[in-house]
Amino acid sequence: MSFFFQELVNGVTTGALYALIALGFSMVYGVLKLLNFAHGDLYMVGAYIGFFVIQGFGGAAHLRIPVPLLLVIMFVLAAGLVGGLGVAIERFAYRPLRDAPRIAPLITAIGISFFLENSALLLFGAQYRIYNTSEFISFSSSIQIGSVSIDSVQIMVVVLAILLMAGLRLLVNHTRLGKQMRAVAVDREAAEMLGINVNFTIAATFFLGSALAGVAGVMAGLLFNQVTNTIGFIAGLKAFTAAVVGGIGSLPGAMLGGLLIGIAESFVTGYISSTFTNLIVFGLLIVVMLVRPSGLLGRAQLQKV
Amino acid sequence: MKGRLFIAVAAVGTLAMAGCSSSSSSTSASGASGSHASTTCSTSIGFEGPITGPVASLGDEQLHFAELAVSMDNAANHTKITLIQGDTELEPAQATTVTQQFTSNSSIVAVVGPAGSQEVEAVGSLMARAGMAFISGSATAVALTTGSYPTFFRVVSKDSVQGPQDANYIVNNLHPKALMIVDDQEAYSTGLVAAMLPIFQAAGIKVDHESVSQKVTDFSSLVAKITPAESVVVLPWQIAANAQQFGRDMAQEHKNAVIFGTDGLFDPGTFTIAGSYVSSFGPDITAIPADAAIVQAAEAKYGSFGTFGPPVFAATHVVDEAIASVCKSGQTPTRSNVLAAIKNTNEPTSILGQPIAFDSHGDLVNGKFFLFKITSTGKYQLIPS
Repeated sequence: MSFFFQELVNGVTTGALYALIALGFSMVYGVLKLLNFAHGDLYMVGAYIGFFVIQGFGGAAHLRIPVPLLLVIMFVLAAGLVGGLGVAIERFAYRPLRDAPRIAPLITAIGISFFLENSALLLFGAQYRIYNTSEFISFSSSIQIGSVSIDSVQIMVVVLAILLMAGLRLLVNHTRLGKQMRAVAVDREAAEMLGINVNFTIAATFFLGSALAGVAGVMAGLLFNQVTNTIGFIAGLKAFTAAVVGGIGSLPGAMLGGLLIGIAESFVTGYISSTFTNLIVFGLLIVVMLVRPSGLLGRAQLQKV
Repeated sequence: MKGRLFIAVAAVGTLAMAGCSSSSSSTSASGASGSHASTTCSTSIGFEGPITGPVASLGDEQLHFAELAVSMDNAANHTKITLIQGDTELEPAQATTVTQQFTSNSSIVAVVGPAGSQEVEAVGSLMARAGMAFISGSATAVALTTGSYPTFFRVVSKDSVQGPQDANYIVNNLHPKALMIVDDQEAYSTGLVAAMLPIFQAAGIKVDHESVSQKVTDFSSLVAKITPAESVVVLPWQIAANAQQFGRDMAQEHKNAVIFGTDGLFDPGTFTIAGSYVSSFGPDITAIPADAAIVQAAEAKYGSFGTFGPPVFAATHVVDEAIASVCKSGQTPTRSNVLAAIKNTNEPTSILGQPIAFDSHGDLVNGKFFLFKITSTGKYQLIPS
């Protein structure tokens, strides 16, 4: 039984990370109907920012500031800078194509993805940058329940992810900005006629979604200890899948999709074989899509005829 | 208007960096200058490696050592050899494209690389048709030197040496009753697993064979599967950072198995899990006094390095010396005379601490692997053979 709970803990942690990235993916799609394939690369940039913050304060083994302060700086800087980068991408790469055929921004998104990936390669080199989390967050601070081990970083990741998801849900459902975002998502032209600043709303959506990806990047660095320019590809793919399974455009769906994929991966690895993880997980996803084409929590689109 | 301009620039930039990086002409050898730089011994060699893509860190290191070798050899031999880069991304299709560019470039007389066995298989016939010698510093699949690719050479031993050597060490010295072996779904890794499994099974060891992609960085679920009876985890991987994370996940879940890594994990700057074993096709060159100048130059120019760079230095050096010998004999370097000179290579010592000569199939004569144990301070300690 302890093996079951250990795999559950591992799956929930990974799933929380996927969910956080999937949220940004889903938000942007919900508002712009754009599959932002550069989203995974924003996560990569966030992971690099976290790494350089650690280096800037003396490195993992010789930190010059308290660990809680370091973590706050890492998360805030990653959220702010990656959020800003997301806004810049929207402003200069996507906005001019807003009324173009949908294939144009899609191809641009792929181009931006390569641009970010290769820019990181040029700027930071190809070598893996190692966070060395265990140098400043000790395993001794982990929780042991029977033979189930829960790392303090895992706890932090899950708690922070839950807080961010809850905060985002509050923002979308109970604030003026959230109401504007929902209005733009339903009908951009009608929202504009009602006096909503559509450009600002879309920019804010990009900021929030990208900031979440930046935070997820730092979390991944703390959890998996490594960052290189290509880590965004798989993360983006998993997040995209999570968003689609949950129902693209649906924020609760993105959360649910992320958690389901994380947990499914963990249990397939643990109880069957790591060899078949992707085969079985993506096979299950195909089944879900066949049964519910609009995703678990997605709503079927009405077509005007 | 500005927005459109940005997109155009971004698109061009992206193409330039992502797509067109497959083969860029480049680095001229910096050390070739000076009054002795012969005008009669001037030629080009190609370099094929994964300069971008998921294993760019390895390709980067290989490129650095190839550049270093050309630079040092040009200075020593008074030659003017130029290195032309080709990015294969560790993809056979990309390696084929780069090879076609190299073989149609008449100024290139030999090639260093490619890195992966699957790439060698893709380009072997093209190289043979062009009469172009090519020397890999990391392709270890057994099938590459069975006669299909007559212009292929390698300065590293093959999997049929490493796999059994490592497996026998585990059986005879670590005595596991059960073990986990995890391949990374690449030809390098699955080849080694195939070479090791029969030895484990013959020794009556219960084997849990797992498989994860190189791109995976979360091993917590896999680590949870390690049973107390599995006292060894064999990782024939190529990304040291992944093995380091695997070790951290083991510590976090209180698993005490010993990690045994193959040469792809030989990276003292990254893989430092105490008590682990790592094999390598070369010794730690930082501990070889004769290599001090190379180590110093490499560290000064490129920082720390792992196990993939030095063999490429050795491979490049073989090509450089072959060209120099052709020039000394009064001939102009061509593909055929450089190929003949490479076949006759007989270096009594090399950067790898062992002689370099090739058998009739292009394999290193008397090639061997070295085994290291990682100490509690993260240092690699050679285990005497």
